Amino acid sequence: MVEHRPVLTALAHAVLILGVLAVAFPVWLAFVASTHPSTTFLSGLVPLWPGDHWRETYGQMFGTGISTSGAPPLGLMMGNSLIMALSIALGKIAISILSAFAIVFFRFPFRHLAFWLIFVTLMLPVEVRIVPTFKVVADLGMLNSYAGLAVPLIASATATFLFRQFFLTIPDELVEAARIDGAGPLKFFRDILLPLSRTNMAALFVILFIYGWNQYIWPLIVTTDERLYTVVMGIKRMVDVADAEPQWNYVMATATLAMLPPVLVVVAMQRLFVKGLIEQEK
Amino acid sequence: MAAIELETLGKVYPGGVEAVKGVDLAIGDGEFVVLVGPSGCGKSTILRMIAGLERVTHGEIRIGGARVNEREPAERDIAMVFQTYALYPHMSVRQNLAYGLRNRRMPKAEIARRIATAARILQLSDLLDRKPRALSGGQRQRVAMGRAIVREPAAFLFDEPLSNLDAKLRIHMRGEIKQLHRRLGTTSVYVTHDQLEAMTLADRLVVVNGGRIEQQGAPLDLYRHPATTFVAGFLGAPAMNLFDAAVEAGALRVGDAVLASAVAHPGGRVTAGLRPEALRLSPDAGGAFHLDYVEELGGARLLHGRIGGQAMVAQTAVEAPVAERMALATDPADLHLFDPATGRRLG
Ligand SMILES: Nc1ncnc2c1ncn2[C@@H]1O[C@H](COP(=O)(O)OP(=O)(O)OP(=O)(O)O)[C@@H](O)[C@H]1O
Ligand SMILES: [Mg+2]
Repeated sequence: MVEHRPVLTALAHAVLILGVLAVAFPVWLAFVASTHPSTTFLSGLVPLWPGDHWRETYGQMFGTGISTSGAPPLGLMMGNSLIMALSIALGKIAISILSAFAIVFFRFPFRHLAFWLIFVTLMLPVEVRIVPTFKVVADLGMLNSYAGLAVPLIASATATFLFRQFFLTIPDELVEAARIDGAGPLKFFRDILLPLSRTNMAALFVILFIYGWNQYIWPLIVTTDERLYTVVMGIKRMVDVADAEPQWNYVMATATLAMLPPVLVVVAMQRLFVKGLIEQEK
Repeated sequence: MAAIELETLGKVYPGGVEAVKGVDLAIGDGEFVVLVGPSGCGKSTILRMIAGLERVTHGEIRIGGARVNEREPAERDIAMVFQTYALYPHMSVRQNLAYGLRNRRMPKAEIARRIATAARILQLSDLLDRKPRALSGGQRQRVAMGRAIVREPAAFLFDEPLSNLDAKLRIHMRGEIKQLHRRLGTTSVYVTHDQLEAMTLADRLVVVNGGRIEQQGAPLDLYRHPATTFVAGFLGAPAMNLFDAAVEAGALRVGDAVLASAVAHPGGRVTAGLRPEALRLSPDAGGAFHLDYVEELGGARLLHGRIGGQAMVAQTAVEAPVAERMALATDPADLHLFDPATGRRLG
């Protein structure tokens, strides 16, 4: 903005600060709760500053898990979540960039039909097709496996569409120059398209990693084996204890830790992410 | 280096647009041929068929005597310079130059040698490690030419390589291309719609109109003896005046005015062509030329007016007197006569 009126500036900051507080306060409370003994939280008084109980809580989270709440040790769940999120994010990127490559740069019969079919699947997220998808996964013997967790979520119309839009902005002359330079389709893909798509891939990776990390319903359905539980499922199970109060300090510690990997991904990729969303390399 | 021959070359685009209609053209080894014509006349299509970027609908293309219709662009031993330069944005200048050579599995030392040579010729040596984004338009243009040069191809193909540059740089690069051709002697086919660029660069000028070759020859021959009204109006700036006239007893008449006498033509209606600089004007209250407005060019002056209701432009010296009505005369040698029905040159 070109305007420099102090009132406006103050107002803008006030709005932004409010927004940050609204987002950050619950996160802060979760962290605070995880550092107090579980009794503190149940007393009804919510402390605003961290306590001194964090060593015990986090120690036990990483070590044995809490048997009463039916959750495996945190490290295992984090590992599972990581494997699932990475498989989904990388799988989605790989499949959709290849589909977009085919759709944009090759002339084959039913090309448009193929594109529209992909597009239509936008209307069919996992939640909608959960029963048939479960049946297929079960018949393929992929229940309780990493493949079962990730594969059904990998096809992505959104990412295909984004890559398609990006590929369409690549000038014909660039493609022709590569042809004259003796680059066949695969060489063109590897040497020109992939490097040019770098920022787009990074942006998609961030979004898709978080998407994969936050999956809840699907992992809940395809896994019955504790060793494949993801951390998001774990949190839910810890809250759902029968005959006892949930151990809020553990729940909150898990939640706090579960937030870390997505945050790390965002921070690490931030520069590329923003670039990929707002500007194309000329 | 090689000769390029086009034989009854035709192109019909899917959808039925007949962009090129039976073009015959023999381009000699080392010749600089410019295809020029108005927008949409099919000159890019011809060039792209030579390059192999567009499938040939009928006819044949031979490079160095061998039919290449079925060959991939990379197998035709040509290099192309595009209007938008089409540099690979993520590669440095050096990588841009090397890419085509690496794909041909050329030894590293040879690639380095060629890049060094091209960089020296084009004054790119200091820019080799920059990305295209960090180059000016003129520098990008030179990199695009460098990418063509390092291939050491049988022919260069240029598709309006200068039209994205500003006027001054365009003239400069025009000179560089000309020098480059003199130095390397590589067969070149150059497409432009700028007739001045075409005139200055060409060994041979090929005027294309509506998918056909209208006329070809040395630039000056075309300028002096345009075969059709189209060529006459297309070459030269300001453009030649073309107007309806009649020849009666050797005198060229427009309405009541006689523009020239002793015209070698049996008589009848003609389309007459006169370049603005061939007209001599003198103030005359009863003259046939009605002045509309004056355009200053600095070194000369353009008088826009009408004669017998038809538009006419004359170029005069800045010192020459100007009046509302002027008499008009010309030398019969400067006069071009065309058949008013077919547009073909008479005599
Ligand atoms: N891919 C295409 N499909 C259908 N028609 C096309 C295609 N490319 C070009 N044409 C048509 O073919 C004709 C010649 O096009 P071409 O690009 O060769 O013109 P040009 O002489 O290079 O014009 P310009 O000076 O504007 O570049 C035009 O009428 C154009 O509309
Ligand atoms: Mg063109």
